[in-house]
Amino acid sequence: MEKNNFWSPYIAGIGLGLTLLATFYIAGWGLGASSAFSLLTGVGIKDISPEYASSLKYFSQYLNVESPLMNWVLFEVGGLFIGALAGALLSGNFRLRFDKGEKMSPVTRGMTAFTGGIIIGFSSRLARGCTSGVALSGGAQMAVAGWIFVIAMFVSGFIAAAFLRRLWS
Amino acid sequence: MTAPLVFSQNASLLIAVILGIFFGMFLERGGLGNPHKLTGVFYLADFTVPKVMFTAILVAAFGLYLLSDLKLLDMERVWIVPTFFWPQIAGGALFGIGFLISGYCPGTAVAGFASGRLDALVTMIGIGAGSLLFAVLYPFVEGFYVSSGMGGATLPKIIGISHWFVIAFLVVFAAGMFYFMEWFERRGREQS
Repeated sequence: MEKNNFWSPYIAGIGLGLTLLATFYIAGWGLGASSAFSLLTGVGIKDISPEYASSLKYFSQYLNVESPLMNWVLFEVGGLFIGALAGALLSGNFRLRFDKGEKMSPVTRGMTAFTGGIIIGFSSRLARGCTSGVALSGGAQMAVAGWIFVIAMFVSGFIAAAFLRRLWS
Repeated sequence: MTAPLVFSQNASLLIAVILGIFFGMFLERGGLGNPHKLTGVFYLADFTVPKVMFTAILVAAFGLYLLSDLKLLDMERVWIVPTFFWPQIAGGALFGIGFLISGYCPGTAVAGFASGRLDALVTMIGIGAGSLLFAVLYPFVEGFYVSSGMGGATLPKIIGISHWFVIAFLVVFAAGMFYFMEWFERRGREQS
């Protein structure tokens, strides 16, 4: 059973805010996440078929550089994994599992996890970032991008939840 | 020396890992590797996401503009997240649906996987597939993708007021929202 010994969300939020502030101060940009997935996908496609990868104009921003994997956001997401793993292990929260809503079958959950992922991957490319790069980083800069993304995300999430009551309860 | 600081590529990537470690630790410790907590806000059951998110935004916004006003940070050299109005409205709306269905967003999926959740790994693979889908469909969406660009527009700039007014407004807004959320969660616990 998971211990649920999480920190107060306000304490975690202050820590996250200070981390973001340090990132602005040191690097001159904010935290990101989704572009690491897009970059790795582009590199993977190039490994399988260089011709096909070069036909995809969108991926050229990642592939037409000297060493695509020497990427700031990719290394930051690597750190994210290490930090979250350390947090889960030290607090006794690490447990291998297939997490899902109570009434959902594992097969259905596999499908929701994958389909939801596709939607997230597509929409974060369209919006030029996700909850990290646009909502959190843009929100803190008070960039218009960050706030319109946050509002659109919550409004649509609430509407979708009204139709998908049984997904998580 | 005025920030942002300049480093060699190797040093810059090492810093990325270190900042990422803090990012991941605070996400996991805040409960944001857990899809039940992540989606709780949409069912008015658990407000962890907006509490963590708005606290982080306000702390970083306050610090960023304070450092800028004290001339310790050159805002001209900070990369402001660019606004493309309609693509980001559409992207955000679509993102909310994906977030609800999968139970994660990209960063929290990594945090969920790091806490042993294999469903989060499935979502991570899906995010890669969705990125590929975007790249494949790019010739059809490019026109929309580059439309309604506003550059590095910020709320204080487009409204034409001091950034401290906007920050003060957001603090009051967040305080009211946090108060309501605490009251609502307490009421829920008392009833159950």
